[in-house]
Amino acid sequence: MKYFLYQLKKNPLAIVGIAIIVFWLFAAFIGPSMMSFTHTQIDADHQMARPGTNGHLLGTDSLGRDILSRIVYGSRSILTVALLTSIFSTIIGILLGFSAGYFGQKIDALFLRTMDILMAIPPLVLSMVVLGILGDSSILSLTIIVSIAFVPATARVSRGVLLTEKSQEYVMAARIRGESHLYIMFIEILPNTTGPIIVEATARFAYSIMMVASLGFLGVGLQPPTPDWGMMVIENKPIIDQAPWTVLFPALAIASLVIAISIFSDFVSKVLVHER
Amino acid sequence: MNRSAQMMLRRLGSLIATLVVMSFIIFLLVEIMPGDVAQMILGQSATEEAVAALRQARGLDDPLLQRYGRWVKGVLVGDLGESVYMQGVAINSILWRRVGHSLVLAFTAFIMFVPLSIFLGVLAGVKEKKPADSVISFFGLATMALPEFVSGVILITIFAVQLNWFPIVSVIPIGQTLFQNLDILVLPALSITFVMFGYVSRMQRSSMIGVMNSDYIRSAILKGMPRKYVIFRHALKNALLPTITIIGMNMGWLFGGLIVVETLFGFPGMGSLLMTAIKTRDVPLIEACVLLITIIYSLSTMITDILYSYLNPRIRFQGGQR
Repeated sequence: MKYFLYQLKKNPLAIVGIAIIVFWLFAAFIGPSMMSFTHTQIDADHQMARPGTNGHLLGTDSLGRDILSRIVYGSRSILTVALLTSIFSTIIGILLGFSAGYFGQKIDALFLRTMDILMAIPPLVLSMVVLGILGDSSILSLTIIVSIAFVPATARVSRGVLLTEKSQEYVMAARIRGESHLYIMFIEILPNTTGPIIVEATARFAYSIMMVASLGFLGVGLQPPTPDWGMMVIENKPIIDQAPWTVLFPALAIASLVIAISIFSDFVSKVLVHER
Repeated sequence: MNRSAQMMLRRLGSLIATLVVMSFIIFLLVEIMPGDVAQMILGQSATEEAVAALRQARGLDDPLLQRYGRWVKGVLVGDLGESVYMQGVAINSILWRRVGHSLVLAFTAFIMFVPLSIFLGVLAGVKEKKPADSVISFFGLATMALPEFVSGVILITIFAVQLNWFPIVSVIPIGQTLFQNLDILVLPALSITFVMFGYVSRMQRSSMIGVMNSDYIRSAILKGMPRKYVIFRHALKNALLPTITIIGMNMGWLFGGLIVVETLFGFPGMGSLLMTAIKTRDVPLIEACVLLITIIYSLSTMITDILYSYLNPRIRFQGGQR
C-alpha cells in the first residue's frame, strides 16, 4: 500500500484518473439528491434549451428534460452494472480457469473446446443478440449476459496464471500434506495470483463500461425511463445539428469515465508488475 | 505441416460447433420469450383468426426441432429462407448487398488504421519517453478506451455539424450505389480507426522498444548503418509480428464496432440489418446475420494465425505449436 502511494505521487496522470473515478462515484451516490430537476421531469417551456440557460446547466433535450440530472442519474446504473459484471466475470473466470488448469487432461480439453465455441463470436454481438431477443433488459439480465460474454477472456487469464503456479514447490508440498484440491486451489494458489488477477479485473471494468454503454446505445440496455448514457446518445442523435449538447454531454460522460478507468488500470498493472 | 493442418481442422470443427450451438440457442430463446411475430406483422388490431392463419402459413406452429431442421437444411443448400417481418422477401436478396457495404466499410477502416497506427507506434517506440512518445501514447490510451459511438459523436460534431465537410448520416439515396457516395464512408471509418489505433499503436510501440534494445540492432547502429535503414529494414520486420497478432485478435472488436458505427450513422450494412432483425424478432434474419458474422470473424482469426506462422519461421518449423 505504501509502495502504491509512493508510485502514485510519481504519476500525476493516475491521480487525475482516480479523481475522475471518485467524482463519478460521488455523482452516483449523492448526485441525484442535489439536482434541482429530476431525471424524468419535463420542462415544457424550455425544450432544447442551450446549456446554462433557465437553470439547466447542461441544457435540455427535445422533451425539455434536464441533461445534467439525466447524466448524474444515469451514472448509477452504468457503474452498478459494470462493477457487478467485472466482479462476476472475474469470479466465474477464476472458478472455471482454475479447475480446468488444475485438473488438466479431459476437464481442461473440455474447457478449451467450450471456450473456443464462445470465443468464435464477438462478445458485443453475443450479448446484443441475446439481450435483444430477451427484451426488457434489467440490471440483473444485463449483468448476467455480459458476464457470460466476458468469461472466455477472464477464464483463460486465470487458467494461464494457475498453470505458472501449479508446478511450484509449495503446491507440491501441500499435495504431499494431503490437502484437498479446493484447499490447494483457493487457499494456497489463489493468494499468490492476486496481482495478475487484479490487473485483469480492473481492465475488465473498463471493458464493462464500454460494453454496457454500447449496449445501451444499441437500445438493448436498460429500458426507459431509466436514463442510460448510451441510450441518451442515440435518442438525441436526430437533433444533433440543432442541439449538439444533448448528444455531446452524455458522450463526454462516457469518455471521461472510461478513460479514467483505463488510466487507472494501466497504473495498477504497472505497479503490480513492477512489484513482482 | 501435419500439425498445422491438424490445427486448422480443429479450428474448423469448433467453428461449425459454434454455428450449430449459436443458431440453436437463438431459435430456443425466441421460442421461450413472449411476443409473437405474426402478431407483430399484422399489428395489435388483428383478429385472432388472422394471426392463426398467418402462423399456419409461415409454419410457425410446427415443433421447434422441425423448424430448426428445416432451417438447417435450407442453409446447407445456400437458402437462408425468407424474412418473416418483411413478408416474402428472400434473405439472400437483401443480405449480400448489406454484407458488401459492411466489408467496404471495414476495409476502408482497415487501410486507415493499420498504416497510421504502425507508423505512429514505430515513431513512439523509437522516441521512447520523448514528448512525441508521450503524446502518441496518451492519445492511444484515450481513443482505445472510447466506444465507437462516442468518438463517432465527437467526429460528427466537429466535421459534420461545425465544419459541414461530411454528412451527419451515412445513408445511400435510393437508386444509387455506395460507390457513388464514398464520402459517407469517411466518418464511420474514422470512428473505427480511433478505437483500433490505440490497441495497435501501443503494441507496435512496445515491440519496437523491445527490438531496438536487442543486440543485433545495436550492432547495426554501431556498424554505422543509417538509422532510418536500421529502423525500417531490420527492426520493423521483427517488431511487426506481435502487431499482426493484435490486429487479428481485435477483429472481434471491429465487428462489434461495425454494428455500433452503422447504427450511429444509419449506414446500410450488416450490423444495422442485424439490429432491425432483433427489434422485429425476425428469427431467420437474425440467424443469417449471426451466421455470417461468426463465419467472417472466425475466418479472419484463422487468417491471422496462418499469416503469423508464415511470418515467424520459429513457429512454422515447430508446426504451429504455441
